Amino acid sequence: MARWWRPELGLAVVVLGLGVFVIAGTLDVSAAASQLGIGPRFFPMLVGGAMVVVGLFYVIDVLRGGHGDPEESEDVDADAPADWRSVGLVSGIFLAFAALLNVLGWIIGASLLFFGLSVALGAEHKVRAAVVAVVMGIATYLLFVKGLGVSLPGGPLQGVI
Amino acid sequence: MESLQLLLDGFAAALTVENLLYALVGVTLGTLVGVLPGIGPAMTVALLLPITFTVPPASAFIMFAGIYYGGMYGGSTTSILLNTPGESSSMITALEGNKMARRGRAAQALATAAIGSFVAGTIATALLVVAAPAVVAFAISFGPEDYFALAILAFTAVSSVLSRSIVRGLAALGLGLTIGLVGIDQQTGQARLTLGIPQLLDGIDVVIVAVGLFALGEALYVASRLRHATPEVVPVGRAWMGRRDWRRSWRPWLRGTALGFPFGALPGGGAEIPTFLSYAAEKRLAKGVAKEEYGKGAIEGVAGPEAANNASAAGTLVPLLTLGLPTSATAAILLAAFQQYGLQPGPQLFDHNPALVWSMIASLFIGNTMLLVLNLPLAPAWARVLRIPRPYLYAGIVLFAALGVYALNGTIVDLFVLFLLGLLGFAMRRFGLPVAPAVIGMILGPMAEIQLRRALAIGAGDVTVLVRSPVAAVLLALSVLALLTPLFRKLLTRRANVTRVG
Repeated sequence: MARWWRPELGLAVVVLGLGVFVIAGTLDVSAAASQLGIGPRFFPMLVGGAMVVVGLFYVIDVLRGGHGDPEESEDVDADAPADWRSVGLVSGIFLAFAALLNVLGWIIGASLLFFGLSVALGAEHKVRAAVVAVVMGIATYLLFVKGLGVSLPGGPLQGVI
Repeated sequence: MESLQLLLDGFAAALTVENLLYALVGVTLGTLVGVLPGIGPAMTVALLLPITFTVPPASAFIMFAGIYYGGMYGGSTTSILLNTPGESSSMITALEGNKMARRGRAAQALATAAIGSFVAGTIATALLVVAAPAVVAFAISFGPEDYFALAILAFTAVSSVLSRSIVRGLAALGLGLTIGLVGIDQQTGQARLTLGIPQLLDGIDVVIVAVGLFALGEALYVASRLRHATPEVVPVGRAWMGRRDWRRSWRPWLRGTALGFPFGALPGGGAEIPTFLSYAAEKRLAKGVAKEEYGKGAIEGVAGPEAANNASAAGTLVPLLTLGLPTSATAAILLAAFQQYGLQPGPQLFDHNPALVWSMIASLFIGNTMLLVLNLPLAPAWARVLRIPRPYLYAGIVLFAALGVYALNGTIVDLFVLFLLGLLGFAMRRFGLPVAPAVIGMILGPMAEIQLRRALAIGAGDVTVLVRSPVAAVLLALSVLALLTPLFRKLLTRRANVTRVG
């Protein structure tokens, strides 16, 4: 990897790219402008133009060695190196949950989501994590579906609970 | 004294059993999310938006107001009992508060924080009662160009104040504005930036954005660098304080309130600056014992900032209710909640829905009292909440995030959008982009556009209409100043360096 490359440059390029995208996407909008005032293109063009300018400044700032301060938070060790394995695991588990939710139903899907995430984040006692996960899955289903009338997919357990 | 009568009517409406229950649920939830790391009032209100759709608006706002105030109370418990830097608004409290706790004065630190929050919250809410009608009377003549200028001021002020680097603040704002553009243009029915995906025609729901940026973004960020050591919570009994502590606390409370309220009402003011100013003021004013104790756990350093913190929350409600102008992320979500009920905060809201506004304000007084009762004797219970193992805490946060977003439309497409926004929230945290400008840009952006188009329609395409009113001209001039703050800061530090060297 080149020496000037830093991960933050990726975000700066995304900002710049979004600006270009907003302008390009707005050009497609047909402007049946009314007699008075401005049509649906003016404000997006303004935002897109501003994004391009800000994005350029951002890219230049990062290239010149500027960097933001990572956000501080109670549970974050700002000095620790990024743990990409955990981020990947959390992402994978969430995406799998989203893809399988309609097949598994809320109770099974949410229990697996909770169990997977808590183990990925370092829960030591796996049996306890599993028990908490199942309790969470059933409790949220009962509270929100039976109590508050929210509709969640029942899955194979439909009719059992 | 018309507003006093309206306020009394508000109390009558808020004091029904049902609304008292909503207030109690609100303050309890608010304290809980304030105590828990990783989630805050903005995200909680966003998650509750779809569920409260069936609740009458007055009850919903009574609950939301309770969550907002409760979050401020809860944050102090965390920063006093847990020795880790927390959110920026309660970081100052941790400076003296945690040192007090370590010296065995946790009960007094919690007590002065809770009582100070009560005093400040009550005074600041009373100031809100006085200030709101005055602002409404002033703003009733505002034209669209004035509202557009106000939005621009909010955008620039929030972006320049919340981040050390203005480019990053503006980048965050731009991301929010872009998200707000997606969907059908309200005036002409044209689809914008939808990429031809039919689900995007209605725009990206504010709930998904808020939950993605706050909850999932935070969970991913924490996953990337989780503190593996178990958090060290200082044990504490019932919160109480003696006569000497009272004597040392009451002046800082009042000074903190005086600082917090106006800063909360200013665009970009927020809670960070007044808490810091209050801390610095108490440090300078400290005499005798206090002076010796400062830096080792002086009660003044907890009393002042905690009062400032809560007073700023009440201050935030002034521009939100009277002008429809959000000055913090939580206020922006509250604005979205008003819109969900088809209400537009502003002078007209006081005219058309006085019952709603005044019962909400009355409930702030009630909620504040409940919070005092909830926080003084129950401090040990809240301290126990801090011991929840972090893997379970963040797994639970993601679970509720998924639940709230799925419940919106019952479609898994929203869950994938949520994940993308979570990645964005993760990147913003990692690279120090403030989240608040993005949320404010997304919610206020479409309104700014409507006002801009109205103003230009009135001016028949003449752009000078935007600065023709003196109010708009002043507001836009202030926006330019806000954008130039980094330049001033650079000049100031350079001059300071020169004088130090010379």
